[in-house]
Amino acid sequence: MTEPEIKPEVMRISWGPQHPMSGQTRILIDVDGEVVRRIIADIGFTHRGIEKILENRTFIQGIVPIERMVMADTANIALGYVQAVEEALGIEVPERAKWIRSLICEMGRINSHLYAFGLQVECTGYFPAVFLWTTVDREVLLDLFEKLTGARWSYSFFIPGGVRADLPEGFRDEVRRAVEYLRRRFQDYWDAMVENPLFEMRNRGVGVLSREDAIRLGATGPVLRGSGVDMDVRKDEPYAAYGDLDFKVITEREGDCFARLKVRFHEIEQSLNIMEQIADEIPGGPVRTKVPLFPRSKPGVEALSRVETARGELGVHIFTDGGLKPYRVKINSPTLRNMYVFERLAELNRVLVADLPVILYSIDPWYLDCDR
Amino acid sequence: MSFFKKLVKPFLVVAPYVARSSQTVKYPDERLIFSERFRGRHHLDLDKCIHCGLCARICPCASIVLVPVEGREGKYPQIDYGTCSLCGLCVDACPRGALTMTDFVEFSAYKRSDLVYSPERLAEVPDIKEVLPMLKRRIRPVLTDKEMKYEVVEEL
Amino acid sequence: MDVVTLIWLYILGLVRWLLHEAPLQVINFIRSLPTLIPELLKWLWDFIWFNFKPLAQIIVIPGLAFILLFAMIAVWFERKFLARAMLRIGPYYCGKRSGWLQVIADFLKLFFKEFVIPDDAEKVLFLAAPVLLPTIPALAITLIPFDSNWVLFDAGGLSLPVFLAIAGLAPVIPIFTGWAANNKYTIIGSFRTAYLYISGEIPLVICAAATALLAGSLDLVDIVEAQKPIWFAIPQFIGFLIFFVGLILEAERTPFDVPTAETELVMGWRTEFSGVLFGFTMMAEYLSFLGWTLLFIVLYLGGYLGPSLFGVPLYDHIFWMLLKLAVIVVIIVLIRTVYPRLRLDQTLRLGWNYLMPLSLLNLLMTLILKWGLII
Repeated sequence: MTEPEIKPEVMRISWGPQHPMSGQTRILIDVDGEVVRRIIADIGFTHRGIEKILENRTFIQGIVPIERMVMADTANIALGYVQAVEEALGIEVPERAKWIRSLICEMGRINSHLYAFGLQVECTGYFPAVFLWTTVDREVLLDLFEKLTGARWSYSFFIPGGVRADLPEGFRDEVRRAVEYLRRRFQDYWDAMVENPLFEMRNRGVGVLSREDAIRLGATGPVLRGSGVDMDVRKDEPYAAYGDLDFKVITEREGDCFARLKVRFHEIEQSLNIMEQIADEIPGGPVRTKVPLFPRSKPGVEALSRVETARGELGVHIFTDGGLKPYRVKINSPTLRNMYVFERLAELNRVLVADLPVILYSIDPWYLDCDR
Repeated sequence: MSFFKKLVKPFLVVAPYVARSSQTVKYPDERLIFSERFRGRHHLDLDKCIHCGLCARICPCASIVLVPVEGREGKYPQIDYGTCSLCGLCVDACPRGALTMTDFVEFSAYKRSDLVYSPERLAEVPDIKEVLPMLKRRIRPVLTDKEMKYEVVEEL
Repeated sequence: MDVVTLIWLYILGLVRWLLHEAPLQVINFIRSLPTLIPELLKWLWDFIWFNFKPLAQIIVIPGLAFILLFAMIAVWFERKFLARAMLRIGPYYCGKRSGWLQVIADFLKLFFKEFVIPDDAEKVLFLAAPVLLPTIPALAITLIPFDSNWVLFDAGGLSLPVFLAIAGLAPVIPIFTGWAANNKYTIIGSFRTAYLYISGEIPLVICAAATALLAGSLDLVDIVEAQKPIWFAIPQFIGFLIFFVGLILEAERTPFDVPTAETELVMGWRTEFSGVLFGFTMMAEYLSFLGWTLLFIVLYLGGYLGPSLFGVPLYDHIFWMLLKLAVIVVIIVLIRTVYPRLRLDQTLRLGWNYLMPLSLLNLLMTLILKWGLII
């Protein structure tokens, strides 16, 4: 990061790592009174070299480090890696395993969006009522995960060849009950949070990203869909069981923070519909094909897998060299692209210092997958 | 006028929450009951282990090392809980099912070397009352019409 | 006479005093000892008995004990209430499952912590701020009547303007402190304080003037007495609402706590304080909240008057004042639970575009009402 020249009437503030609301990153802002003239996102505080770690783990061992990249919805990112490995090694996945994978991915998506709500609401002023409700509602989902996989956050459940275990007894009824409970709770969220006029005043017209700018700058996920662009990997290149499921891609036209909030809200509703469909219509069969514990790859194979995480599109690209471990794993994360869009927002509209956390959390960054 | 109605609505939504039961688990007076698939501390069955070493090979965190045990032949796994990520791949890999996982998660120790559990220590899992003498209740979450509550399953 | 001779004479005089006169004085003192202590106690008892009422006013109500207890109870209540609305418990272990000792424990902890002064800060201003900050609202609270003859400071019939004048000093301290701390966050916080106070003070003063007009006097006791037929909240409905909103603005509470917006600037102008200094600034926030709330109760809700049943007023006592205080505090904490924080320009727009014209309208309506009553 080069140090640009600073004009004397502009004050440079380090909205820095030691700040109650900045997350694990530093954002340098050039402030002139209350108007922010320039944003520089100084990322890299949480770089752990996950791509290098994966070069030192065999294909099955690699499912454990990769999901420590994004803790809020570990399912989607683990699925990206596992699908790339399956494509590189030529492994087939049974139908039932694909449906279980979709179920877990959708539960992870709801988990992540609820967490994003909590943060988006907290940054507008410690709005105490809603922030901890989302934590409590995520408990319902985490209990479901624990019954299915044995762990609450880092389940390590996807394995090349399928999933590690089948659904336990009575799990489909529990999924239905959880879906009903969450649907009832969303009415409260809608009334207290989204329809709250002061909250709307904070979010409307703030951080507007037009359709052309979103495409030109490379936004992804709810940021892109909040500006009116209809792109979702689950519909464009269906993976797991999404080809057989019926859901809508939510877009909003305005492109401001409020639109992104509504996109996430309605996406949760769509995910709940998907969970119900899966609980009703899941096919039978085996959940795992037999794969050796240490599979060996063929040399010179490239495999790319794209998944739609809660924050946007994620790509995992694997290169093999004939050994037990991959030669190179390249991960293209959604937050990195969205942080670039965030930096350009100061030039596109008039951002005040007070708007900065609101815009930042409407982009929903997760710095661990930005820095890998 | 709808502005004022929307202004007052959050009060009516939030105020009833004051009367609901809290969602806090008052650990260590209470402890949750986990499912039977829960991945906690390991339990090693010394008679079933065939010293194949697959658990040590598959561990992604390199936490398992095979060490000899007094009074027995062959080497048994020793697990370092300072680096173990509780992923359970070793349990899947064990061909005889000697290694299983319990729901015990109280690992705290005063020294890092105390976190390395030898095979004999892995073979005996202490009772929860020894580790948490102040435990009074075991609870479980249940979804009712309005909220998620914790119901008491067992009083100690 | 040179210096050496002077010093020599001085030493000789000292020796003479030590040998001759000091023992005599010591013996006299020892002789008077049996009667000294009872005399002292009698003097103390007479002093307290003679000045009982002012002393009680200074120490208990509305003096030190009351404002400190209010700060503690308000902090405890806010933490518990917020926790319940978030489905949590709040302070639990300290104090037999209700956590009432937690506040005292926190204050003791702050007392014993080391406070850090930045190297290139203006030390005098920096250390003066936590001392001055609680003092200003405490001074203003001395003017509030808690009963018809229980006012700590008698301002000669002008207690309302004196109160507003003292409250007008309040923004000066944060502005100086923010600059003295030599930190970018604090200076932005102090600018925001300046903007906020200017926009919030004017509607409040105009509304207070309207109540004084309706009561016909500038003294707070007279204003309370003039509410005997009906509380001023009802004829001056608009003023009531404006003063309520303005009170939250002046006390810098959510939804208007822009200067100390914790999510943007770490703590605004309070960032660099730690330890005891932080404890005092926290206390000052609750004290200024208390001061404005008490003024609100006196002006609009009848002060210490009991509610009148069918035209016959109930017994007036301090108790009604405390009850009304409790109700208003609960409502304001509830408002904090439900609403997010507004941005600075939205708050200023509220103050200048909405509150000020409405307060002028309120003044006009009061004039018409008063003119109609006279005629």
